[in-house]
Amino acid sequence: MKPIKNNPSPLPDPPITVWQTTSFGGSPTVYTRPLARLIEQLQHLPGVGPKTAQRLALHILKRPEDEVKALAMAIVEAKLQVGFCSVCFHLSAEPVCEICRAPNRDSSTICVVADSRDVIALEKTREYRGKYHVLGGLISPIDGIGPDQLHIHQLQRRVSQQKIEEVILAISPSVEGETTTLYVGHLLKPFTRVTRIAFGLPMGGDLEYADEVTLARALEGRRDLE
Amino acid sequence: MYLKTLHLRHFRNYQDQQVEFSAAKTILLGNNAQGKSNLLEAVELLSSLRSHRTSRDRDLIQDGEAVAQITGHLEKDMGAVDLSMTLRQNGRRTVALNSLNLRRQLDFLGTLNMVQFSSLDLDLVRGGPEQRRHWLDSLLVQLEPIYAYVLQQYNQILRQRNALLKAMLKVGSEISHDVSPSSSELALWDAQLAIAGSRVIRRRARVLQRLVPFAQSWHQAISGSTEQLEIRYAPNVALVEDEPEALQKAFLEKIQQRAIVEQHQGTTIVGPHRDEVEFTINNTPARQYGSQGQQRTLVLALKLAELKLIEDVIGEPPLLLLDDVLAELDLSRQNQLLDAIQDRFQTLITTTHLGSFDAQWINAAQILEVKTGHLLEQEIF
Ligand SMILES: Nc1ncnc2c1ncn2[C@@H]1O[C@H](COP(=O)(O)OP(=O)(O)O)[C@@H](O)[C@H]1O
Ligand SMILES: [Mg+2]
Ligand SMILES: [Zn+2]
Repeated sequence: MKPIKNNPSPLPDPPITVWQTTSFGGSPTVYTRPLARLIEQLQHLPGVGPKTAQRLALHILKRPEDEVKALAMAIVEAKLQVGFCSVCFHLSAEPVCEICRAPNRDSSTICVVADSRDVIALEKTREYRGKYHVLGGLISPIDGIGPDQLHIHQLQRRVSQQKIEEVILAISPSVEGETTTLYVGHLLKPFTRVTRIAFGLPMGGDLEYADEVTLARALEGRRDLE
Repeated sequence: MYLKTLHLRHFRNYQDQQVEFSAAKTILLGNNAQGKSNLLEAVELLSSLRSHRTSRDRDLIQDGEAVAQITGHLEKDMGAVDLSMTLRQNGRRTVALNSLNLRRQLDFLGTLNMVQFSSLDLDLVRGGPEQRRHWLDSLLVQLEPIYAYVLQQYNQILRQRNALLKAMLKVGSEISHDVSPSSSELALWDAQLAIAGSRVIRRRARVLQRLVPFAQSWHQAISGSTEQLEIRYAPNVALVEDEPEALQKAFLEKIQQRAIVEQHQGTTIVGPHRDEVEFTINNTPARQYGSQGQQRTLVLALKLAELKLIEDVIGEPPLLLLDDVLAELDLSRQNQLLDAIQDRFQTLITTTHLGSFDAQWINAAQILEVKTGHLLEQEIF
């Protein structure tokens, strides 16, 4: 059944006007419709405001058609092909990710992180040779995220069913990170040794921003969870 | 410490204003709504990274501008410091000390110390307990900047715990497919609340312990020694023993006792967000005691005590910002204040008229006329 159109407009659609405030005093600019749509979409990206979106869009329009198509394809293919590893929940194009499949990595150690970004940060240190488990976030009742919304049960299953010598909790020491660390720690302690790494980042710093030296040092300085 | 210069760019109604403070006392003179308080607000921001007038940075940025900047050159015993703060429409801030951008805003705090005194401060006596908690917290941040972090953590835990209690309340009253948030999850937040909350309580108790004797002796001096001021910290979780573990235990016990009420109300009712600081004069709550003049005496005593405590702890005198309040004090209180600060404390004073000031205030003061976001040096003869 079609929705009833109760307000048929006799006029053609007006062009979309994007009112943008610039630091030069807020003059309105009219973009042609497809350009307005591109700018609108780009603004959904993190860290991209109206000005950057406009710059990116105009840049894209200047590039050769096949280059632009390649960009668009790359975006769509990455989205369609990259999912989560069924073991550790790291981003992966295969059902099981490369790290989980690597035969030379220590499969008796699991490093637990909040996000795939953290795996990438830790991999860059080249210090860690064990496996990972990506929780997919932190416990945060404000955002409606409890333990059940994270990959915590899967972690518990991994730890209880395999021979795991050590679980390293590498979670940022924010309020939410601390709670998640405590929760996961209590859950896993009956099965194995649980340690946490002490970041040199007491506040405001996400693991993502930790430089490689700090992280490498943190890995050495891990301590048992009380 | 001495704030030598201040430079405001696109801040409130200031386009681009450089100020040089050339005397221990600077009087900002001007009609209402010209920018006097705005200037004090800029100093407050350099000191605390907060404004008591707004929590939105876009209010602070001049209308139609994208970025505001406040910079100041501060002379301290251990050397000069350049402070700078950049505010943006989107709320992102940058702070720098000696032109070095800081990764943590916390490291900016505690550099410029100040005590503020405005007519609004009567609310310390007459207002609700949150006014007194806020007053105490602001003082604490100056004395130990890490407290800003402690408090922020406590408030975040509180928000999370309240969200969880609310979710549990909802699950309890509706038929829901969600798995009910477990009480073991709540226990984790309890533990965190108790740890962070105990830190808040112990620090508040500690700062009051040091502040009260100063406030009492000032109050006696100003009121003519007949009235007895008492200041009592009344924490929501009683501080029986000043020891972290004992306090955390008491905290958790109280949460247990109030668990049913809490779960019924869906909000946290135990913790330092419910603390009170009680002022009594001659055993009567100060709020009910005496005239506005007597209440003002109490606030003046508290402010002088703050000055003294900061000077004691930091080791050098802080700035004093008097917003419209001096004209409200009678001459004898003005003189007591003058005696107390002498030339040791750099003082910025706003007023609409010089008429009600004792000549001692005006002599040797730098007078700046404030007019629609512009400052003019004035010679008074
Ligand atoms: N973001 C802003 N941009 C421009 N002007 C502002 C801004 N915020 C406040 N003002 C102006 O500042 C003036 C108030 O300044 P204020 O310092 O509070 O006055 P007073 O001199 O009475 O203390 C008002 O005229 C107000 O319009
Ligand atoms: Mg004012
Ligand atoms: Zn994997």
